[in-house]
Amino acid sequence: METLIPYTSELLVSLVSFGVLFLLMWKFALPPITKMLDDRATKIRESLEKAEQTRDEAERLLDEYKEQLALARVEANRVIEQGRKVAETMKSEIVAKANEERESMLARAREEIQGEKRTAMAELQAQVADLSVAVASRLIGASLSAADHKALIEKSIAEVGSIDAR
Amino acid sequence: MENLGPAVAKLLEELNPFAVFGAGAAHGEVLAKNAVMLTNYSFFLICATILTAIFFFVASRKLSMVPKGIGNIGEMGVEFVRNSIVLDVMGSAGAPYVPFIVTVFFAILFNNFLGLIPGFKPGTGTLGTTFGWGIMVFVVYNWVGFKKNGFVGYLKSFLPTGTPWWLIPLIYPLEVISHFLRPFTLGVRLYANMYAGHIVLGVFGIFVVMVAEALSPFGAVIGSLSLLMQIIMYAFEVFVAFIQAYVFAILTAVYMSGALHAKEH
Repeated sequence: METLIPYTSELLVSLVSFGVLFLLMWKFALPPITKMLDDRATKIRESLEKAEQTRDEAERLLDEYKEQLALARVEANRVIEQGRKVAETMKSEIVAKANEERESMLARAREEIQGEKRTAMAELQAQVADLSVAVASRLIGASLSAADHKALIEKSIAEVGSIDAR
Repeated sequence: MENLGPAVAKLLEELNPFAVFGAGAAHGEVLAKNAVMLTNYSFFLICATILTAIFFFVASRKLSMVPKGIGNIGEMGVEFVRNSIVLDVMGSAGAPYVPFIVTVFFAILFNNFLGLIPGFKPGTGTLGTTFGWGIMVFVVYNWVGFKKNGFVGYLKSFLPTGTPWWLIPLIYPLEVISHFLRPFTLGVRLYANMYAGHIVLGVFGIFVVMVAEALSPFGAVIGSLSLLMQIIMYAFEVFVAFIQAYVFAILTAVYMSGALHAKEH
């Protein structure tokens, strides 16, 4: 039973030491600790909010880029298609024009050949007539030996050959 | 085994709260209860108080945004008391009382832990300390109650709502008595736990020493079991040291919460 009655000195010491400890804790130790706890909580909350914002922003940008990429792809396809059409049109135009030119060149060549041919024929006819007249006059002008005949014919032939050579 | 009686008597004498520090155990000397002197328990109480103050002083100067080291330990302790005891029990209204309950918790915790060092005594192992703190909690929570609810309002709040008028003469004194019992229950619970824990550790310690002094086959078995029990009880006492600080602090929070929200009852 002795031990169940508190000792006055111990009561006083316990109260005084608690009082001093409480003042020290309250005034000096706890404010920086609770401030740090609150600051950290605030910082973590802010960081989380910021991370959330950044993620939203990133998602928004990604969507935007995807959209732009899709648009660019469509635009590129359109440009390629247009290019192909233009090229095909140009190709058919060039082919048509080339055909046309070839035809006209052929026609012109044909005409020129015909013209040359006619001229040559006319000249030939004229010379044949002259030769015929010359041969006839010589036949008529003298009687010739066989040797003369031969020589004459050879001469005429040589003359005709020289005409050809001209 | 014939040594057991005097050894236990010596242990109890050692643990006698009226033993005066520096004078050794007061051998049978009955000291006046109102004498001004420093008992063993008071000495260790002051040591624990100084240690608590130093710990928190250092911890509060070693804080960093990324928690580490002693600052982190201090922060964890304060956060534990603030969130798991004060705010859980009292709600946000308890915020102004965080310093008080944090001090209650750590003063008890450091005393309990200091007492676990062999040769040391817990400052909380004597009724003088624990009853003193019980009275302090009683005064503080009633002061909060009167301040928050007004004198009459607080006195009225002692009655549970819906009490029939004819039961008031019976219930009211009972409620008042239950309030006045609180400092005793707070004090005796903490004191008895710490004192008993010390006795248990001391008794097993005596067994081990006695076996070591007089070796015998039977004694070897008893001694080994005692050593094992000593270790198990020591671990248990570490647990008790924490639990008792927690219980004292949470009851303080419960009483203060009752005083704060007295009108809602």
